[in-house]
Amino acid sequence: MLKISHVVKNFENINALNNVSLNIPKGEFFGLLGPNGAGKSTLMNIIIGYLEADSGQVYIGEEQISPQNIQLRKKIGYVPQEVSLYLELSAYKNLKIFGELYGIASKKLETKIEYVLDLVQLKDRKKDPVKDFSGGMKRRLNLAASLLHDPEIVLCDEPTVGVDPQSRNAIFDMLSELNKSGKTIVYTTHYMEEAERLCSRLAIIDHGNIIAIGTLVELINLLNRKDTIKIQKTALTQDKLSVLREMGMVNEFDFYFELMPKDGYEKNSAIFGKLEEMGIPNDFIQISRATLEDVFLNLTGRSLRD
Amino acid sequence: MRTIIRLVQKDAARFLNDKRAVILTFLVPMVLIIIFGNIFGGDGGTRGKASLILVNESNSIVAKLFETKLDSSKALLPVKTYVAENGKDSIKFDEETAKEWVRTGKISAAVVMPKDFFTDTSTAIKFKFFYDPKNEIESNIIQGNMQQLIFTAIPKIIPILLQRRSISYLGKDSTSQFMKGIGNVVHQFYGESPDSFMKKWTQIDSASLFSSPKDISSEVNFMSNVIKFDSEQLVGKKIINPGLTRSVGGWAMMFLLFSLTGAATSIFEEKNEGTLKRLLCMPVTRANILWSKYIYAILLGVTQLLVMFIFSWALFGVEIFANFGNLLILIIASAAAAVSFGMLITSISTTYSQANGISTLLILVMSALGGSWFPTSFLPGWMQVISKGTLTYWSMEGFLQVLWRHSNFAGIAENVLVLLVIAFLINSYALIRFRRGII
Repeated sequence: MLKISHVVKNFENINALNNVSLNIPKGEFFGLLGPNGAGKSTLMNIIIGYLEADSGQVYIGEEQISPQNIQLRKKIGYVPQEVSLYLELSAYKNLKIFGELYGIASKKLETKIEYVLDLVQLKDRKKDPVKDFSGGMKRRLNLAASLLHDPEIVLCDEPTVGVDPQSRNAIFDMLSELNKSGKTIVYTTHYMEEAERLCSRLAIIDHGNIIAIGTLVELINLLNRKDTIKIQKTALTQDKLSVLREMGMVNEFDFYFELMPKDGYEKNSAIFGKLEEMGIPNDFIQISRATLEDVFLNLTGRSLRD
Repeated sequence: MRTIIRLVQKDAARFLNDKRAVILTFLVPMVLIIIFGNIFGGDGGTRGKASLILVNESNSIVAKLFETKLDSSKALLPVKTYVAENGKDSIKFDEETAKEWVRTGKISAAVVMPKDFFTDTSTAIKFKFFYDPKNEIESNIIQGNMQQLIFTAIPKIIPILLQRRSISYLGKDSTSQFMKGIGNVVHQFYGESPDSFMKKWTQIDSASLFSSPKDISSEVNFMSNVIKFDSEQLVGKKIINPGLTRSVGGWAMMFLLFSLTGAATSIFEEKNEGTLKRLLCMPVTRANILWSKYIYAILLGVTQLLVMFIFSWALFGVEIFANFGNLLILIIASAAAAVSFGMLITSISTTYSQANGISTLLILVMSALGGSWFPTSFLPGWMQVISKGTLTYWSMEGFLQVLWRHSNFAGIAENVLVLLVIAFLINSYALIRFRRGII
C-alpha cells in the first residue's frame, strides 16, 4: 500500500532522514515511534507531498508521490499534529470547504459531512465556530476533516498531543474502527503507550534512521530481558545509587529509577539478593514487563522523552 | 531592583527579536524624516522646484528681466520648450500649447508674457497666468512665488508706470508741470537735482534694472496698481468638493496597499495555523493557493475602493459617476498592482512579522514619495525620479485624471498600462518564488 524507498532529507546541516525505507501493506495499523526531532513529521510531510525528498521515492500502490501528481493525494487522509482548521468558521463550513476542495459532489458531500460529524461526535455542534470548541473537540474535528474523502490510507501525525484522556480514547477508538473497516493507518507518536495499544507493527526512528521494525513482540524480543526492575527514588541514597549503576544501566524517571541489569544479573533472584544486601526493602521494588520504552532505551541508550 | 533590570532586559531582548517592531520603531520614522526633511526643512537648494511653463512673446527688456529672474528662482522651474513628436526638435511653447498642457495635466501652471506685456506706452505690465489647482498647495505655492518674483524683480519699473498712468489721467502738460513741482520740492529739501529726478521717473535705465535693489519696500506697495496679473483656472472649476476630489485617490491607494498586503500576507497565517499544509496535502497546488489569494485580494480591493469612492460621493459630493467606467478601470488596475505588491512582500519574507514590517515601511515610503500626502513637485529632483517608480504615483495621477480632469480612457491609458505592467512583472516573480516552495 505505502512504500518508502531510500528516502533522504537534509535541512542545512541537519540530516533529518537518512536512507529511510518502509513497506506498509494495506489494512495495517503501522506505528512510527520516536522522540521529538527523530524525523517522524519530516517523513509524514514527504509522504503527503508537502516536502520533497532530496532522494528516494514514496509510492502509494503503484503510483509515485510527486508535486505534480496531485490526484494521488485523494488516496491520503492526513491528520496533522496541529489543529489545522479555520477557527473563525463553523465545523460544518470547515468540512464543506475541505470536501469541495477534494472534489466531492455537493449531495454526497452533505452525506459525508453528516457521517464524519457523527463519527467524531460533533453533530450537535456543527454550526458553532471552531474557536469555541475545547481542545479535544478541535482534535476530533481535525480527524473528521481528513476522512471526508474516504481515503485509502490515513496518516496521523501525533494527533493526540495536548488532548484530554477522554478525547484521546475517543480518537483511539475511531482510528481502531477505521482500521477494522480496511483503512491503512500510519500513526506517529512519541508515546510508547499509544504505539503499544494501537499498532500491529512498529518502526522505531531516531536521528533520521529506522533503528528497529517489527511487531510489539518482535521488538520486545530484541531485549535480553523481558522485564525491568523499578526502584522507588525514596529508597535510594547516592551511595546506593552508585552501587545500582554497577549492576547495569540505570534510567531516572519522575518517581523511580529503572534498572536494566547487565550480564551476571540475568536472574531476578540475583538482583533481589543484591538489593536486599543494599538494604532496599522489597516494597520499594517492582518488576514490570518490558516496554517499547525499554527497547528504545536499549537501542539508543536514551529515553524516548530525552 | 535587580529583578526589575532583568525584566527590562527580557523586554529589550523580545523587542530586538521582533523584526517588525524594530522596523516600525526606528526605520520607518528615519525614512519619513529623510523625506519630510527634504521637503519642508533641509537645504533649500536641494528642494524640488515647482515647474511652470513660461511663454515670453514680448520683446521688451522688462520681459527679458522677468525671464532672467524666473530662471534663477529657487522655488520655480520655468519650462520654455518641449520636445517635438519626432523626438529631436525642441519647440518653444506658445500660449495655446501652454494652455493645452495645463488642461491635460502635464503641468500645473503656465505664465504668459504677451506681446503687449510692456510697451513704450504701457501703463501696466500684463501677465497671463493659467493654472490647474489639482493640487491646491502646489498651485498656491506657484502663485505666491510668482507674485513675490514680480514684486521683487522689477521695482524699477514702478516710477515709469506711475508717471504714464498719471499722464493718462491728468494729461501730458499737467503731469509735466506736476512732476517739475515735485522735482523742485525734492531739490529744495533733499538736494537732488530736478533733472536727475525727472530722468528717474521718465526713462528706463537698463543697467539699474538688472541690478539688485537695496530697499524696495516702499516701491512694492505701489505694485498692485501697476501690474495686471490675469489668472485663469483652466481645470476643475465645476468640481463640488475640490479638496477631497484631489486627495481621495492618494489616500485610497494608501489604504488599499495596507489592506491588500494584509490579505496577501494572510498566507503566513495559514502557514502558522497549519491550514496551508492541510490545503497542500489536498488536490491543490501552490499556484492554486497563490491565485486564489490574488483573486480574492483584488475583489476585496475593488470593493474597498468602490465603497470609499461611493462614500465620498454620498457624503461630500465627490463626482464619481460622470466618468465611472474609467474610474472602474483604474480601480481594477490599482487593485491588481497593490495585490502584486503584497504578493511580492509575501514571497520575499520568511515570516508574517517580517512581511508586516517590510510592507509597513514600503507603503509609508511609497505614499510619501508617490504623492498621497503632498505634491511630488515638493520633492527634490532625485526623489521625483524615484516617485515615478511607485505604484502610488501612477495610481494617484490616474485618479486625478479621472476625477479632477474627467479624462477619457486615453487620458489614463498610460497609468493603467504602467500599473498592469508592474502587476504582471511583480506577480510573475512572486509566482516563481512560490512555485519553488519558498513559503
